[in-house]
Amino acid sequence: MKLIKMVLAAGCLLWAGTVLADPPKGYPFVDFDAGLKAAKASGKPIFVYFGRYGCAWCDHTNKKTFSDAGLKKLYSENYALVYVDAESGKRLTLPSGERITEAELGARLQAFATPLFVYMTAQGDKIMQVPGFKTVQDFQDYDRYVRGGHYKQKTLLEFLGGKS
Amino acid sequence: MLLAVLAFPVHAAWTWDAALTVNSVQGAAIFPHIESANRLGVAVSGETVGVVWEDNRDGSPQCYLAIKPAKAAAFKPEVRLSKNECYEPVLLSLGAGRFVAAWEETGKVYARVMPGGKALQLSKTAAVQVTLARGGDTLYAAWAEQAGRFKRIVVASLALKGDTLSVNSAQPVEAIVPADEQGWPALAVAGDGSVTVAWEDRRHRHTVPMASHSRDGKRFAPPARLVDRKSGSVDGLGAGMGAMRPTLTAWGEQGVVAAWLDKRDFLSGYDVYAAFDPGTRTFGRNLKVQDSFGDNMAQWHALIVGDGAGRLVSLWDDARDGTLDVWLSEWEGDAFGDDAAVPAAHGPGAQSDPVATLDAAGSLHVVWIDRDEASGTRVRYARAVRK
Repeated sequence: MKLIKMVLAAGCLLWAGTVLADPPKGYPFVDFDAGLKAAKASGKPIFVYFGRYGCAWCDHTNKKTFSDAGLKKLYSENYALVYVDAESGKRLTLPSGERITEAELGARLQAFATPLFVYMTAQGDKIMQVPGFKTVQDFQDYDRYVRGGHYKQKTLLEFLGGKS
Repeated sequence: MLLAVLAFPVHAAWTWDAALTVNSVQGAAIFPHIESANRLGVAVSGETVGVVWEDNRDGSPQCYLAIKPAKAAAFKPEVRLSKNECYEPVLLSLGAGRFVAAWEETGKVYARVMPGGKALQLSKTAAVQVTLARGGDTLYAAWAEQAGRFKRIVVASLALKGDTLSVNSAQPVEAIVPADEQGWPALAVAGDGSVTVAWEDRRHRHTVPMASHSRDGKRFAPPARLVDRKSGSVDGLGAGMGAMRPTLTAWGEQGVVAAWLDKRDFLSGYDVYAAFDPGTRTFGRNLKVQDSFGDNMAQWHALIVGDGAGRLVSLWDDARDGTLDVWLSEWEGDAFGDDAAVPAAHGPGAQSDPVATLDAAGSLHVVWIDRDEASGTRVRYARAVRK
C-alpha cells in the first residue's frame, strides 16, 4: 500500500493494459435518477459512489474494499446504490428538480478527488461526503453512523471518536 | 519566441462596467445553465451582445437568447429558441447584429440564424453537445453523434444564404467506429483558415482531451493528445489521469490555444491547463493557467478566449476565497499572469460557470451564473475595457 501511494503521488503513469475504474462488480449500482426513485420507494438511504473513468484509487477501493462479501451484503441490502461518473455529460435530476450533468454534480459537491462517497437520506438530502480510499471497517462505521441516525446529533468525527 | 511576440501588453488592467442581469424570469425553482461545448454562451455581433442559456421556467428545459445593443442599459426580454427539451445552447457572431445559435433538442442538434432564421436540424441521427466556429465567411459546427455503441465527433461545414442555413458537408473526424465515448467538441478556425477540433476521448480507458486539424475542414489529421501525460495504470490500477471539457480559441495570426480541466495533480481537484499551437498544427507542452493561490483548490468550468491581435484570457471558477467566484488570467508572453477576480462575480454567494468573448475592440464580455436558491438564480453579464 505504501508503495502504491508513493507511486501515485509521484504521478508516474506506467502503461499496464486496460484496467477500468467503474462500479464494483456484483453490486446493484444504478444511475442517480433511478437511485433516488428507488430510495423514495424503499425508504432506504442513498449511497453515491462518485467515481472517475480510469481512476486508480477507485480501482484500488473496488479491489481492496468492495470485494468484501460482508460489505457487499451490507450495502446492497440497506442502501439505494448510485454510481456517478465524475466526467460524464449524462444528465440527472437533483431532488430540487434541477437537471444537471453528472460532472456538474462534482462541481456542486466541490469534489476534489475520486472516489468520493456521498450518503443521502431517502429524500435525497445530503448527510455527509467522504473522499478517497476507505477500508471495509470505514464503510461499516459510516453505515452505523448513517443508518443509526447518529448524524442527527453528532458529526462524523464526534461519532468515530466515541467508538471503542 | 513566437508566443512572446504574440503577447499582448503585460499588466494591462481591466475596467469593468456595472453588471447586468440577463434573464428576465427568475424563481426559486428556475435553474438557468450556461454549460455548452466550448463554453460558447456569449457573442458580440457588431454593436449587439447576445447571450444564450437554458432554463426550466416553462416546465421543461428550454433554450433562450437575449440581446442587448451595446449602448443599451439592459438586455431585451429573451426569446425562446427551442420547442422541446433543450440543452447546451451556443452562440456565434455573424456580424452586423446577426448571430447563429445552435443547441441540442430532443436528442438532435439544431442551428438557427437569429434574428429571423428557421431552425435547421444538423444531425441525422442522435447527437449532443453542438458547438460552432467561424473563419471569414465559412461557418463550422461540430457535435458528438451516436455511432454504434458510442458517440463520435462530427464536423460540418455550413452554408449561409440570407437567413437560411444549410449543411454543406458533415463528416466524422475519424472514419472508424469509436472504441469508446467521445464528446464535448470545441472548434477554432485559425487565421489561415485551418480548422482545429478538440474533444474528450475515452479510447484509452480514461478521459483524454484530444485534437485534430484540417486544412479544408473536411479531411482531418489523425488525432493527437492535448495532454502531455501518457495513459496507463499505476501498479495495475486505473488507466490514467482525469481531464475534461477542452475549449479552443483562435489566437494571433495563425495560432490556436486550448484550455481544459486537468487532474494530473489528483489531490487538489481539477486545475486549468493550456497548450499552444503557434501555427504548426501541433500543440506544445502543457502550461498551468491558474496561479499558486489556486493550486490547492479545485477549478471548474474553464475556458479560453483569444483574438487575432494576440489577446488571450482564460476564465474559470473556484472557491479559494471561501465561496465560488469567477477568476481570470491573461497570457503575458511566457506564462499566464496572476489570477484576478471578476469584480461583480466575486464575494458572498456562488458565482460560477463563466463564458466569455473578446469583441473587435478588445473588450472582454463575461457572463456567469449567480446562484441563489431562495430568490432565484441569475444569469449575469459584465463588460470590461482596458484602462
